[in-house]
Amino acid sequence: MHIPDGLIATNEPTSLTIAVGMWIVSIAFLAWSWKKAKTTYSRSITALLAISSAFVFAAQMINFPIAFGTSGHLVGGTFLAVLLGPYAAMLSMTIVLLMQAFFFADGGILAFGMNAFNMAVIGGLSFFLIKLLTRGSAGSRRFIPSVFAASWLSVMVGALLAALEISPAFAGGIMVTVPSMLFYHAIIGLGEGAITAVLISSIQRMQPAIMGGLTLLKEKTKL
Amino acid sequence: MNKRLAVIAAIMVFLAVFIPLASSSPDGLERVAETFGVEEHAPFWNGIMSDYAIAAIGNPYVSTLLAGVFGTFMVLLAAFLLGKAIAPKNPEALE
Repeated sequence: MHIPDGLIATNEPTSLTIAVGMWIVSIAFLAWSWKKAKTTYSRSITALLAISSAFVFAAQMINFPIAFGTSGHLVGGTFLAVLLGPYAAMLSMTIVLLMQAFFFADGGILAFGMNAFNMAVIGGLSFFLIKLLTRGSAGSRRFIPSVFAASWLSVMVGALLAALEISPAFAGGIMVTVPSMLFYHAIIGLGEGAITAVLISSIQRMQPAIMGGLTLLKEKTKL
Repeated sequence: MNKRLAVIAAIMVFLAVFIPLASSSPDGLERVAETFGVEEHAPFWNGIMSDYAIAAIGNPYVSTLLAGVFGTFMVLLAAFLLGKAIAPKNPEALE
């Protein structure tokens, strides 16, 4: 879902405006999550933050085939949100995206604002859906189904936003980008949901102590 | 501590096992751009290891694996520093 700079027409006002606008929006969200993170986390988050971010980077390298000669990979935004809570998750995913863009040219520089919003911010915000659906309890019977649903939805919302953002590069505009992006990502999102649900339920079984996100922010999170 | 090292080692093993199995098909977004014949213009930044490959290494598996291991460690380091940066000033925050 990483938008390359090649899809942003620098000589076209609409395309450039969207790219710059999304940079500003993403910076605003990241500044907010930074501020919230500073009053939310204790030092014990550091190891989990580092390792889960590294895992998400590695997992994003592994594309799985869906159908129609197309592939997808785990984004991991909801996975990070459940483990770390929304604020650290947004910052963590931003680090993953930064390294991908800088070292590997996976996702553009001009497009970074879009990618950060579509994956890091949306991924972090999916926390609040899980919180709502489970009433903040990882012990709820609805927990794993909620994780699946939030993962799928985070991919769909990200894909919808990406479709809108890249539409200036397409002759058919949003009429072609929105349905086609949603079509492929509805399938990719099932992979996201399944992988995230399996990972979270395994971690919950093996290492219940590190199921940080939901319990950590149980009392404190209000949008 | 050892448990953490074990998880990091497991991530390396995960990369080593799954890199050759990963699909090389275009992802959803690339597929959409191809389908509608959108030509990407040349980017102004090509990265240092474009496409997760180290140019100096001929073997594609080794090249991608080393790029992946490098990236994983860079993320690990950056996220660790992020953790240090967000955490120290709030000793009374929730555990």
